[in-house]
Amino acid sequence: MLQILFDALSLGSLYALGALGIALIFGVMRLVNFAHGDVIAFCVFALLWPSTDAMAIVFAGQLPWYLLVPFVLLCGAGLSVLCEIVVFRRFRKANPATMMITSFALGFVIRYFLLMLYSSRPKSISLLPTLSQPVEIFGARLPLLQLITIIATMAILIGLTLFLRQTRFGLEMRAAAENFSMARMLGVRANRVIMGAFALSGALAGAIALIFGSQTGTADIQMGASIMLMAFIATVIGGLGSLGGAVLAGFLLGAASVVMQVMLPVDARPFRDAFVYGAVILVLLFRPQGLIAARGTKERV
Amino acid sequence: MAYKMRIAMTALAVLSVAYPALADDDKIVVGFATAESGFMEAYDKPAQEAAMIRIQEINAAGGLLGKQIEVVKADTKSDRAEGAKAGLSVLDGGADLVVVSCDYDFGSPAALAAEDAGQVSFFLCAESIKAGIQGVGPHSFSASVLAPVQGATMAEWAFKEKGAKDFYRLLDTWTVYNKGICDGFDWMMPKLEAQGAKLVGEDTFKNEDASIAAQITRIKSLPKEPDAIMLCTMMPGAVSAIKQLRAAGINSMILNGSGVDGSYWLSAVPDLSNFFVPVQGSIYGDDPSVDVNKFNATYKEKTGADPSSQYVYPGYVMIDVWAKAVERAGTTKADAVVAELEKMKDEPTLFGTRTFTPELHHQNKARYLIVETKAGKPGVVGNWTISEPVPMEALLK
Repeated sequence: MLQILFDALSLGSLYALGALGIALIFGVMRLVNFAHGDVIAFCVFALLWPSTDAMAIVFAGQLPWYLLVPFVLLCGAGLSVLCEIVVFRRFRKANPATMMITSFALGFVIRYFLLMLYSSRPKSISLLPTLSQPVEIFGARLPLLQLITIIATMAILIGLTLFLRQTRFGLEMRAAAENFSMARMLGVRANRVIMGAFALSGALAGAIALIFGSQTGTADIQMGASIMLMAFIATVIGGLGSLGGAVLAGFLLGAASVVMQVMLPVDARPFRDAFVYGAVILVLLFRPQGLIAARGTKERV
Repeated sequence: MAYKMRIAMTALAVLSVAYPALADDDKIVVGFATAESGFMEAYDKPAQEAAMIRIQEINAAGGLLGKQIEVVKADTKSDRAEGAKAGLSVLDGGADLVVVSCDYDFGSPAALAAEDAGQVSFFLCAESIKAGIQGVGPHSFSASVLAPVQGATMAEWAFKEKGAKDFYRLLDTWTVYNKGICDGFDWMMPKLEAQGAKLVGEDTFKNEDASIAAQITRIKSLPKEPDAIMLCTMMPGAVSAIKQLRAAGINSMILNGSGVDGSYWLSAVPDLSNFFVPVQGSIYGDDPSVDVNKFNATYKEKTGADPSSQYVYPGYVMIDVWAKAVERAGTTKADAVVAELEKMKDEPTLFGTRTFTPELHHQNKARYLIVETKAGKPGVVGNWTISEPVPMEALLK
């Protein structure tokens, strides 16, 4: 039982971090950033030296963990900010559908850039190998990584909450999320806030890349896609733009997925995701505005 | 002017349709409608290099039917629609043999184009029964061995040679290839159960799953760790699953299909042990056949790198058996060549024997070398041929 709880929490952590990355940007820009998944993939590949050989040439991945972690986070933040400056800034006045298509296109550009440098062959990389050991906790035996994932996610969530609640920048960001034009009129600098949101979102992508990379030991150009899909669904169930909702829904999705895997009979298990998505539809039927609706997105009469 | 131009163009088009590229009589053409870019390139290119090595060998030895083999290529760009075009393009180039992508889904458009033109097509290394008569038509073949043979081989070998009794079946539902491995395992299992083996549990996952923690929890809640886990999956999810199984402290034998062969990914699971893969030939320099090791050296000389997995070898086998059939038929005419191919029974090649019949253009039984990875080092530990061929019902499941 406890084991299942840990399984659910660790998978939920991944989805929650992903959902948060999307919700952050949606909050300030009304942009559903579909390139987010490819930023995750980019962060993993950043640890490898570009080559199309089957054997991966590990480069930055060999750094000790206290350098590796900031490096990956910075990679994510850097790429994300770069996307903002080069692409999204030019679409700020465009309608959300246009921006969404742009983010799709940008995602393809990143993915094919990786394909060009590294080929489509999945690369293997031993990231933080010391985490691949089993530990015993309250009678449940689980990989150390699972535990670290849960702890790191909690730390990130607490850190982010403090940041948003206690700092001036956080206040500006929350204000911008609630009513962007009002916030601007009151002296919040749009560029700074948006770039901040992209940097945070990118760093979150980096965090996912680290966890995902050490869990799977694989760098694959398509690796961001499945997490991105789940994370996007989580932001929708959570209430688009609501950070708390995104995190909650991320954990719920992770839990639903694990519980279905445990409960379903073996013949139905291949269709696990169909059941999970079915549950998603049910939730949306009853709460079309999401679990925790963001104040900024309500229609004003 | 534009009008006249259009008439001229139309006339040209009509002419070119009416007179398709006439078969050139003093050369034989092999057309590669494979991926030279995009996703499939990484899978097609190695086998194609091996095919080129065999072509060069044949040409150096005086050619086929006294003629030199020429090669035409068209890029499928890893796209199914482009695949059909690439097939037509090499047929226009006069291809007597159309070589198509490794995977059934990616290769079949070009293979169907060849089938429509009545030409022989060969999948570089597809392991689905559809890559042949059942999915394309009577002129289509595959150079590799069916996936179910791999699952059946591993199950029987583990039971007979390693004394494994309790089996666990873990299927990744992503591809037909994965299901094929488990189909072969499912066919073999009742035979082994009659002799004392037992299937203690089964589960599924998806290749892209970020975590298989729930599946692992199920294995761990068994009263006893199973002797062997039949893992029906492929890259990239395979690495993730293996890594997570070992990280959770499960030390059972892991049995696999050939799809996970290669040492390129072993860095992801340091010191992996008790891990077994069936291969048609060894890339690790310890193949019992001297000729295979010689081929590996030639491959390295030509491409600058060692073969990355056993999927290089079917490319060589393909040209080898096709050329033999052409030699015996005395012509490259498709029907005659197909008839000669279908006469092949246990035809020796560098990488095991090949048998084709009018019902099956694929291998339902084959000798496999078993590669064990021990403390992160793979090496051949034996070989196994299943006691009877996998029957059609199990293949078409």
